[in-house]
Amino acid sequence: MNYTHYSRFLIGSCIALILLPWLFQAMGSSYLISTATRLVIFAIAAVSLDLLIGYTGLVSFGHAAFLGVGAYTVGILSFHAYEETTLMGFSGTLSGLIAIPLAIVLSALVALIIGSLSLRTKGVYFIMITLSFGQMLFFLFVSLEKYGGDDGMMMFDGRNTLPGLNLNDRIEFYYFCLAWFILFFWFCTRLVRSKFGRTLAAIRQNEDRLSSIGISDYWSKLQIFVIAGVGAGLAGALSANHTEFVSPDITHWTRSGDLMIVVILGGMGTLIGPVLGTFLFLLLEEFLPLILHSLGFDLLSEHWRFVFGPILILIVLYAKFGLYGLIFGRMR
Amino acid sequence: MLHIRNLCKNFGALKATDDVSLSVDRGTIHALIGPNGAGKTTLISQLSGYMQPSSGAITFDGQDLLSIPAHKRPHIGLVRSFQITSVFPELTVLDNVCLVLQSMQGQARSIFRIAAADRLERDEAREILTRVGLVDQADSVTGSLAHGQKRQVEIAMALAAKPKLLLLDEPMAGMGAEESRHLMTLLDNLRASVTMLLVEHDMDVVFGLADKVSVLVYGQMVASDTPENIRNNQDVQKAYLGGHNLHTEAKEC
Repeated sequence: MNYTHYSRFLIGSCIALILLPWLFQAMGSSYLISTATRLVIFAIAAVSLDLLIGYTGLVSFGHAAFLGVGAYTVGILSFHAYEETTLMGFSGTLSGLIAIPLAIVLSALVALIIGSLSLRTKGVYFIMITLSFGQMLFFLFVSLEKYGGDDGMMMFDGRNTLPGLNLNDRIEFYYFCLAWFILFFWFCTRLVRSKFGRTLAAIRQNEDRLSSIGISDYWSKLQIFVIAGVGAGLAGALSANHTEFVSPDITHWTRSGDLMIVVILGGMGTLIGPVLGTFLFLLLEEFLPLILHSLGFDLLSEHWRFVFGPILILIVLYAKFGLYGLIFGRMR
Repeated sequence: MLHIRNLCKNFGALKATDDVSLSVDRGTIHALIGPNGAGKTTLISQLSGYMQPSSGAITFDGQDLLSIPAHKRPHIGLVRSFQITSVFPELTVLDNVCLVLQSMQGQARSIFRIAAADRLERDEAREILTRVGLVDQADSVTGSLAHGQKRQVEIAMALAAKPKLLLLDEPMAGMGAEESRHLMTLLDNLRASVTMLLVEHDMDVVFGLADKVSVLVYGQMVASDTPENIRNNQDVQKAYLGGHNLHTEAKEC
């Protein structure tokens, strides 16, 4: 990989993301800013999952659980603020200074619990147990009748409040999410190059050898599982703010599947890959029905996933290392 | 330094380790020999914590070894190398060694230290690679090395852990003559600072290095004595070589 090529691409994409609102306004299609916001939020979750799948070799199939924890933290706090009721003695709040850090702390805690149990298993069992935990959280949220059960709940008071920022303004909210994305991406860039990053690579390559050189693979895996959970929890909190709506759908196993598709599509074991994967995924999701419709395939336009699936399969089959491989040639 | 008492490991009806008692004295090279399937690797695996014994006791440096989890044993000075090469194939040779060094520094889970920026660690890793004779391959991807060179990486990783007691499971297996000789000299020079338990088939190496030799047959300790006495031990000759004279064997090798 050509390093200057890579860093130029990074800086270029960063500038493009920063200039995006102006571009959309100039195009007269400023509704697209909402799609761009989804992109950066979803990309945080995808990058965090890649820390597990691509960097550590841990195929977690329940990553959407943490999206749910983050989203429900924001949602429930907002619900109680609106109703002016309390939850276990605490009143609700719209303050982003409380809601977002709390979402991060709670998703770390849930990741610690789920991780400490599921990381005792390996391989296929690990996939199944993370899937089960994800579904457990899904049904937990469905059972919360007070918070809308399977219909979910609206955040009637709007998005979180922050001093000096109006998150209800869609451009300011976009920049807010973009800032989180850049921060998280930068953190991950450091992480994978850190000594811990080297330990993660070792786990992926030869897990059984670790204890003989004095490293506990269990604690190392738990640490990355919690970090990844925090990333997804953050994405969940931002996502709840974005849609001003929280429902169990965000924790459904198909969400975990979408995240996995995005990571594999973009290129596992790279940080840019999942971002590219998210970009293509959302682009196809948004525009494939429209394109099919304008081509006159009305039936396909309704069942656009019928076309979407084969496209994914073709990319995974023919582009080694996904979109990252297509753009940068080879991995690492 | 290491005391094994009445150690047993059963796999169903098979007694892989059958009431083995053994002491390794500080500052010695103790060779462990025996025919294939005698349970040598099984014994090493129990010492390094990869297997739990069925019964028996092991003390190391006065500590009860069996209560210490495998990943903590290298930190108290008990380090093993593997008979079947087990390296991290996608990392460079230097990174394989650095990984051990960072583990010994307690930095294996350090998020904020950039791996490549630790100049001291890299210098130390290079120094170790120089000792095993692999420094010119430092930046090669380990998976691309020849088999003998991977064996040297294995040794470099073991040395990087600064062991008090080094468990070497057939370190010469798969090495060329030149590499083998180099390693033998290296181990010989280490004897002042590192105690070793050496499993090896090459009798030249065993009788060239060992202060003491123990013979394991079908999981049982047949003899444990000086190299001289082992050579002349009738039981050993019968069990291990079917009556051939070890003395002449060693010369012929």
